[in-house]
Formats: sequence, structure tokens, C-alpha cells
Amino acid sequence: MKKLSAVILTIALFIAVLSGCSGNMENNQFDPSIGDNNDPKNEVIIAIQSEPENGFDPTTGWGHGTTPLIQSTLVEYTQDMRIVNDLATDYNISEDGTKWVFTIRDDAYYTDGEPVKASDIAFTFNTAKNSQSSLDLTYMVSCEATGDYEVTFTLNAPNSTFINTIATTGIVPEHAYSDNYANEPIGSGPWKLVQWNKGEQVILEANEDYYGNVPAIKKAVLVFMDEDAAFAAAKAGLVDVALTSATHATQDIDGMRIEAVTTLDNRGFTLPTIPAGATSESGYPAGNDVTSNISIRKAIAYCIDREQIARDALNGFATPAYSENDGMPWNNPDVKIETDIEKAKKLLAEDGWEDVDGDGFVEKNGLKAEFKCIYPSGDSVRQAIAMAAAEQVKKIGINIIVEGLSWDEISKRMFSDAVLMGWGSTNPYTSYLLFHSKNKLRDDYYNPEGFDNATVDGYLDAALHAATREEAYENWKLAQWDGITGTSMRGECPWVWLVNIQHIYYVADGLDIGDQQLHAHGASWTLVQNLRDWRWK
Amino acid sequence: MDKQLAIKTSGQMFSFNRRVKTVIISVILLGIIIGVFIAGFFIGDDAMSVDFSRKGLKPSWEYPFGTDWLGRNMLLRTVKGLSISIMVGTIASAVSAVLATIIGVAAAIGNRWVDNVIVWLIDLMMGVPHLVLLILISFACGRGLTGLLTGIAVTHWTSLARLVRAEVLQIRSQQYITISRRLGKSLGWILLHHILPHVLPQFVVGLVLLFPHAILHESSLSFLGYGLPPEQPAIGIILAESMKYLTGGMWWLAFFPGITLVLIVILFDKLGENLKMLLDPYSAHE
Repeated sequence: MKKLSAVILTIALFIAVLSGCSGNMENNQFDPSIGDNNDPKNEVIIAIQSEPENGFDPTTGWGHGTTPLIQSTLVEYTQDMRIVNDLATDYNISEDGTKWVFTIRDDAYYTDGEPVKASDIAFTFNTAKNSQSSLDLTYMVSCEATGDYEVTFTLNAPNSTFINTIATTGIVPEHAYSDNYANEPIGSGPWKLVQWNKGEQVILEANEDYYGNVPAIKKAVLVFMDEDAAFAAAKAGLVDVALTSATHATQDIDGMRIEAVTTLDNRGFTLPTIPAGATSESGYPAGNDVTSNISIRKAIAYCIDREQIARDALNGFATPAYSENDGMPWNNPDVKIETDIEKAKKLLAEDGWEDVDGDGFVEKNGLKAEFKCIYPSGDSVRQAIAMAAAEQVKKIGINIIVEGLSWDEISKRMFSDAVLMGWGSTNPYTSYLLFHSKNKLRDDYYNPEGFDNATVDGYLDAALHAATREEAYENWKLAQWDGITGTSMRGECPWVWLVNIQHIYYVADGLDIGDQQLHAHGASWTLVQNLRDWRWK
Repeated sequence: MDKQLAIKTSGQMFSFNRRVKTVIISVILLGIIIGVFIAGFFIGDDAMSVDFSRKGLKPSWEYPFGTDWLGRNMLLRTVKGLSISIMVGTIASAVSAVLATIIGVAAAIGNRWVDNVIVWLIDLMMGVPHLVLLILISFACGRGLTGLLTGIAVTHWTSLARLVRAEVLQIRSQQYITISRRLGKSLGWILLHHILPHVLPQFVVGLVLLFPHAILHESSLSFLGYGLPPEQPAIGIILAESMKYLTGGMWWLAFFPGITLVLIVILFDKLGENLKMLLDPYSAHE
């Protein structure tokens, strides 16, 4: 009997462990009393996931790729991806494309009352360059204030994506910058940070002295929660907006609607393009004997029914993906392909792949068309996409073994296995990082497939160093498909793109979240890029 | 008179004595457990196959345990998971029981300092929270199946070792052991012929009763993400995955795997109790 009670005790322990986990989730919840005193129509509580690890310092990556909210930028994106002036009133680029001169407005102030000066801009970009963070400014030779309200950038070569970098780099005040700036940022943007409880929430208040349109919402509380905690909070009426995902957004919540925002947040397989035996930059095995056959890669690309994956695996919350930048002005519309199983089979047969031993999978010279696809375990969306795609390629006799791993393990195996990867950026420089041979087989996740193509390198270099935007866009497009080769699935096919996932949120009825621009990778901070346009109806 | 006698004999025909009953129950319990194990062994890839046309189905006659968000058959996954659990439990508790017997006997017949060290080690191991120790060891041994097995095997021997030590100490003070020694028998001979046969029942019962612990700990570790890899349909993994979908109302993803895990654990426990009744000399003749 003693033994039985010991077993029961163990079960109880197990249950305690279970509830211990949900207890942690509760710890992540915010204190709802914070919002109770004010008029609820002036504030909004938003449940998102990713907390900025390094704080709110734009020189170390905060806001990079989205909008820094607290700080303002020289130029900014419009909803339809045009670039317009923000802090800048005008800018000129020299003939040779290496000197950029910005004049800035004189009515912008930081929330501590100090004016925004050209010297702050120089300070911001020089600090960012020296911090060697996710902001790559190695091509910038210098940044100097050439007047109180004029700043001059000097580049070592023309750079067409510099304007995109400027558009997401918030300006920090030199006088108020310290080691603790990331925790207590001061900026000239539409929002000021009032409170940051790490692991829990960030409270933003509207900056009433903002030089642009002051936000209609006066207070925004951003709480950090997992999807299921956010769902529970939304159901209990504790939050006004809750981030969810395609595999979870099947339930309705009273008083809330589901908003699905179209994105270029793509998901696809990276397929090692080199045979096994190579090593990555940090010495991990690279290459794969199966996926290094272009016939295999292209056969997969053509046999995938992207609409079906979106419908079946993701409850319709996705659109077909054909490249890393679908819908962007620098996307080549010719990269689209039609699902064509016969063509896929033909590609395999022409290359000598056939099912010799009758196991349902094709072989060539004794090599079975089988490889592993790894995904971050715990990411149910990537799991569903990978499983759905693996089912589809069975039809043409290719076996993809789907395996969930931690990011830590993925970073070691991504050079030799297919990975269910995702990118999507408002900066065309991402294409350069993804496909230029300079960046191949590095630990930064951009080009683990080892893609290396001299023609593509040429287009990418030409695009990056183009003097005009038209010339740059033309070359970005040629890098994807020039009629013969390219990074797209019609060309060398280092990736098989599957879907662009939609970013899905439960939004309280009566809350207008404005016109959302095409979202980049990551569903959390892209949502609040236009927070200043949100309003209660 | 005749009638009465007839009733009595027919009654005797169908009533076994307690010992036989216990044997039959034990065999049935063992049969169920082995049946589940073999069933899981033959399921193979069916437990993994994805079919979006049947995703998120409630329990029905066709899918008694329902299907998950990828359309995987939960009955097959659960049986496969139990099978994996039984396999892990068998290996881990066997290793653990052997370890416990060796250490327990060593403590009882070794030098005083050997005994001291072992008793201290047992106290130390039992003093550290079990799950923490398990996580540490399985993490240090490279996670996955090997980490899991090592972790469970090297943390579960303590209480059984203590039991074996006490048992051996008691046997050692018996008169026939002293006589045997006086007759010039070596320590090894005494160990083999006098002590081990007496420890055997403790070993077998201890082994079976370690099963539930091993299985539950395997599931907890996998649940917490330190055990088996996520595409293995282990019960812990199934439960961890289902957590995310409970808020969405898919209760059957956690309910059936959880309840069957508890049932298997109870089966093992009952089997252990029955074996104890059969083997333990103090209760064998009840």
C-alpha cells in the first residue's frame, strides 16, 4: 500500500509540475489594475510575444526592420512602402552616390525638452557603426554634422539600400545617451516609454509634443505572452488585442474579431545546394547529396500545392509564396510558378531518378531521394507547414523526414539538412545577405544552403551599388530571374518557398488598428508600427 | 445430504486458493502490458502520418481518441507513446534495480567506510529534488533517449538499495551464516548461496515497482522538453503539445493519453503488489 501511495504522490508531483508551468504563464501576465483608473477609450492593451532582448536602443538593433516608436527616423515608410521624409525635410545624393546630405526639421524635440540636432544624428550612426550589431554600417565611411540642422553621410561606394537602413534607424539624443539608455530610452518619436517590467510588459504614452500627428490613443500597454496565455487573456477581456497564430485562430471570442494581415513573412525550405563533405564557416558539416541535385529541388518546387498548404495546414491564413520579397516593389513577378506534378516527375525522370526497388521513393545510382527537414520544435505553424509539404512531395517519390529541434541544434545542422526557414524584410539588402556568395555558410542563418552563383553575385552587387532606385530595383529583379538563371525557383532554386503566413490578431470590436502595411518577418512589432494611427470608434 | 455435498464440490471446482488467483491476475496484468507494448511496436509510421482532411476531430467510433490539429490519429499515437514509455521504463528500471542490488549488497557486506559512503550517497541523492537531478543528468548526458535512460537509471536506485542493504544486514546476522563461515566457506560462496537468494524477491518486486516511477519521470521529462525529441509520439510530448490546444477546446488531446498513462502505471503497481505477495516469504503463504 505504501508503494501505491508513493506512486500517487509521484502522479501528484507530475500534476504539480504541470500546474507549475501554467503558474509561470500567470507570472507573465500583467497587472490589470494599471489600466483601470483611466478612460478605457484612450488606452489599449496589446498582447504580443517577443520582447526586445537588448532593450530600446536603436544603435544596437531596436526597431531595425520595423519602426522604433519611441525614437523618430530621418525618413519613414508609408503604408504602400514608399519612403517619405520624417525628421528630414530634404535630402540630396551626390552624382557618384557616395555623399548623402540631409537637412532636418528644426521643430523636433526629445521628450526631455532638448531639440533634435544634426550632431545627434551623427552620434547615432557612428555609435551604431561601432556597436557592430544587427545594423550593418561597414560601408559608411563617416557621418558628420555639417550644420545645426544638416548632416552629411559619406559612403565608400554607392549604396541603394542605405535609405532603407535610415528609414528604420531611430535617432538617439547624444546628451542623454548612457549605458542604461536601452532600458530608459528618450526619443523624439510619437511615443514615450513610461515603464518596462522585463518579462512582463512595456507601457507607452503618447508624446503630446510630437512634431507630427499626436497619437489618438494616449496609452498603450504591450504585454508579453504566449499564444495560449494571450488567448485566455483575450477571452477574459483583459486585453484589447491578442496575437495568435494560424493553427490556433479557429476559435471565436465574443466582442473580438480576427484581423489577418497579409505579409511577406515567408516560410520555405532551404535546401543545401552543395554535395556533402563541405564544412561551414565555423566547422559544421555542410552539404547534402540529395538536395544538391537541382532536379530534386525543382521537382519539389513544382509539385508543391501552395494553396492547399495554406488551406489545410494553416486554416486559410496564408498566401502562396514564390520568393523572399513577394509584393515588394523590387520583386520580380516572373518568379511565380504553377503547381505541375507532371513537370516535377519529368524533371526527376530526365535526371535519372526512378523507383527501382518499388518502395514508393525514387533512387538514382543507389541514392534514395530522402532528406531531413528540421524546424524549431514548439513552432506549431512551421511544424504544420513542414508536415503538409512533406506529405505532398511523397506523390513524386521524395521522402522528407520532418524533425523538430531547438534553434541551438538547428544552427549546427542547418548546413547539411533542409530547414523550414522564414524571412521577409522591408529592406532589399536581405536578398543580398540571403544569396550573395560572400555570406554563404555563415552562422547568421542567411545562406546555410551554400548558394553560390557568379551571375547572381553580379546582379546583387549591381543592385546594391546602383546610383538610382530604378537601376537597383531592375537588378534585384534580375538576381531572382534573368530568363536563364537566378535565385528563384525557376532558376537555381536554393529555396523552395511555400507560403507567406498571415499575421493574425484578435482585435476588440470598436478598435481600429489602421491600415496595416505589408508586414515583415515577426508578428509582434510589425503590428504596432502604425500604433499612432490606431483609434477607438 | 448428497445435494449439499455436490454444491460444495462444485464450489470448490471454481474457487482457487489465493495464491493461484494472484498468479492468474499477475499473468493477465503482464499480458495487457506486453500487449500494449507489442501493439505500439507494430504501429510504426502510422502514428506519425498527417492527414489534414481529418484534423481536429472529436472522439468517434472511427477515431476513439480523436485526431489532433495535423490530423494524426490520437489512438495510434497514444499506444505508440505508451509502448515507448514501457520500453524506456523497462530498461531504466532494470538498470536501476541491478545498480540498487549491487550497491545495497556492497554496503551491507563491505567495510564500515564503504557502508558509510554509500549511506551518505543515498541520503544525498534522496535529499536533492528528484526532478531537478533528473533534468541535470539527462541534460549533461546529451538529452534524447540516452540522456533520458541514464538520468532515470542513475536516480532511481536509492530507496531499493537502502531496502536491500537492510535485508542483507539482517540475513548476515543469522546463525546459519555464522556457521557457514566457521565451516570455512568464502564470502563469495555465502553471498551466492545464502544472501542473494533471499534478496531476489526484493529485487524482483523492487524492479516492478520502479516501473511506474520510471514511466512517470520519462513523461515528465519529455513534457518539460528535456526528454525524447518532439516528433516521437511519447506521452510527455503529446501532453506538452496538447497544452497549446486546450484553450482551443481540444480536450481529448490531453485527456486520453493522460488517463491511459495513469492506467498503465496502476497496472504496473498492481502487478508489483501481486508479485510481492507471491515472492515475499512473509506474505507468500497467506
